[in-house]
Amino acid sequence: MLRMEIALFLVLAFVAYIYFSAEKQYTQLHRTFSALLVTALVHLVLDGITVHTVNHLDTVPRLLNDAVHRLFIGSMVLVIYLFYQYIAILVEEETGKPRRLDRAAKLFLAAAVLGSFLLPIQYMRTPAGNYSAGLYVTMPYGAVTFYLLLCAGLLVVNWQAIDRKRKFAIGAALLIEFTVCALQGLHHTWLISGMGITLMTLAFYLTLENPDILRAELTEQKMSMLYLKSQVNPHFLYNTLDTIRIQAQLDGDKKVADLLMRLVDFFRLSVKVDRQMVALDDELELLEAYLELMCCRYPELRCEYDIDPDLGGAQVPNFILQPIVENSLLHGLKNKGYRGTVSVTAEKTAEGRMEVRVADTGSGFTEGKKAAVDEMLLHYAKQPAKLEGNSIGILNVQKRIKLLCGREYGLWYTENPAGGVTAHLLLPAREEEV
Amino acid sequence: MKKLRVLLVDDEIMIREGFKRLFDWEAHDCEVVGEAADGMEALSQIDALCPDIVIMDINIPIMSGLKVIQLSRIKHPQIAYVIVSGYDDFSYCQQALRLQITDYILKPVNYEEFGGCIDNLKISLFERRVAEEPAEAREERPITGITRYLQEHLAEEVSLSVLAERFHLNPQYISQLFKNEIGVGFLAYLTNIRMEKAKKLLLSTPLSVAEVAERSGYGDYRVFTKVFKKSEGVTPSQYRRDFLESTGSGEGR
Repeated sequence: MLRMEIALFLVLAFVAYIYFSAEKQYTQLHRTFSALLVTALVHLVLDGITVHTVNHLDTVPRLLNDAVHRLFIGSMVLVIYLFYQYIAILVEEETGKPRRLDRAAKLFLAAAVLGSFLLPIQYMRTPAGNYSAGLYVTMPYGAVTFYLLLCAGLLVVNWQAIDRKRKFAIGAALLIEFTVCALQGLHHTWLISGMGITLMTLAFYLTLENPDILRAELTEQKMSMLYLKSQVNPHFLYNTLDTIRIQAQLDGDKKVADLLMRLVDFFRLSVKVDRQMVALDDELELLEAYLELMCCRYPELRCEYDIDPDLGGAQVPNFILQPIVENSLLHGLKNKGYRGTVSVTAEKTAEGRMEVRVADTGSGFTEGKKAAVDEMLLHYAKQPAKLEGNSIGILNVQKRIKLLCGREYGLWYTENPAGGVTAHLLLPAREEEV
Repeated sequence: MKKLRVLLVDDEIMIREGFKRLFDWEAHDCEVVGEAADGMEALSQIDALCPDIVIMDINIPIMSGLKVIQLSRIKHPQIAYVIVSGYDDFSYCQQALRLQITDYILKPVNYEEFGGCIDNLKISLFERRVAEEPAEAREERPITGITRYLQEHLAEEVSLSVLAERFHLNPQYISQLFKNEIGVGFLAYLTNIRMEKAKKLLLSTPLSVAEVAERSGYGDYRVFTKVFKKSEGVTPSQYRRDFLESTGSGEGR
């Protein structure tokens, strides 16, 4: 008989290991399940011990036998109580109605645990094996019956409101436990209560608590948060900005109104385009909106454009110019107090290619920085995917050009003789065939 | 020409105020006669005021702007609708086009450039008037002859002097004729019909942008792209792409 307890313990311990090592949310439901797992494991250990001691009544001291039996029954009540809690929380989450018999459940728990510790215990000897009996089990059995009936009641009353999968999980777990209890009631010597508890825990683990489902829950939450961040905020932001703009213009402040109009334009443009490739014109429109705003913030900043008008329709990867220019501003011109010029040039080079140059009159590369940037851009594919940091912008631009246009295109930097640096982007000059 | 009566519909008071006070209605022969902040109010104001033009936000309380147009269209077929929308979304635009609205503009509204939209409205109102006239009356008026000639020759070099020669009229007189009969200048009219032609070609033919430009009367497609962008808010290729994408995804649903 002891072999079954050991097997059950190993199965549940494995489940607990998987469960606790998985990334998950810490909701009330999951906390309850964690407590359930730990208590069930303790209960199984006690189960194994009692199965052994009850059949060796002559060799094991009476006091020790009593103690493990009392702990065993006490932990069983606690496990079933946690089951009830778990199911009640599930139902509560589904229906939104608070549970009603919670206080009675806690009272039963206290009474049953106390009863199992204090009331007299006796041992029955039968040819098929021994088992414990006496008053100390009556209170706990009453409590267990109460919890199981309560769960069944919850399930039946809220049958319509509960999600199919959860209904299935609760139903299966209760069916198992009722069957096991009935068998245990008929055959006192079978001692299979540990099996019922393990199977019930497994039913919940497999349907509701397994790490894949938990991970999916977590991802879904993250995604919806990201979605909210990226979709709702810009709309709210630019609608509000627009209201402020109109108010400014109504108050006769044309300058503020113009600035806000540009800011609204910038947001709108940066939210709007979700294609991989866009026309160079679109890219420049966004860049102009950005640079105009920067020039307003720093009046000594100048920008110049020299764009070959034939290249306006050329298809380039989305959002490649703004990060380059932002880089020039933050690492070049910022060090000069934003005094200087950014010039953007686009011209045809040989055989259907074009070169876009972003030149600044900033502080230029510091000692050794040029080599580091060259190295990074040359071995772009080997760079770990960074999510933040200084060069994430240009590295990302390089990767996307190589991926979307081909390996012969790309980004590199040179130093200007008069100070500052120039970013060169070699791109195809193809117009999309519509 | 009598003044055009305008109804403003938007749930945000600031946007209505902006329209009312930041755009020079007087200079465009218009006056704002009423405002509404939700769909129901818009319907009752349309019934009460019978405006010539309704400037309509789509996303308004109680009933959407598109629904209001659908309902009031039956009773008041003569009203011209301009949709103002914060939804930078072509599917709305398509629904709106199906309701035969006159124009579609996106927020944020640049009030200085709103005049172009009013010009478009005047032209479409004029075209509707002409279409309702009996054929004989149409033949007699010089302006209808001139506009028909323009429609047929918009791909060519047409100017006031070309028209003057063709119709044996004084160029200043023709210019005045446009102002009086349609309410817009000759060039604004010409640009409008060329843009309409270009849009039609972009959506219904596979012609390249350069060919569309040429057939719409623009020898240089860069000039065409610039004018198109200013009038439609997007470049010609964007316009076509948006349309193709939205119909493509529409079939999938």
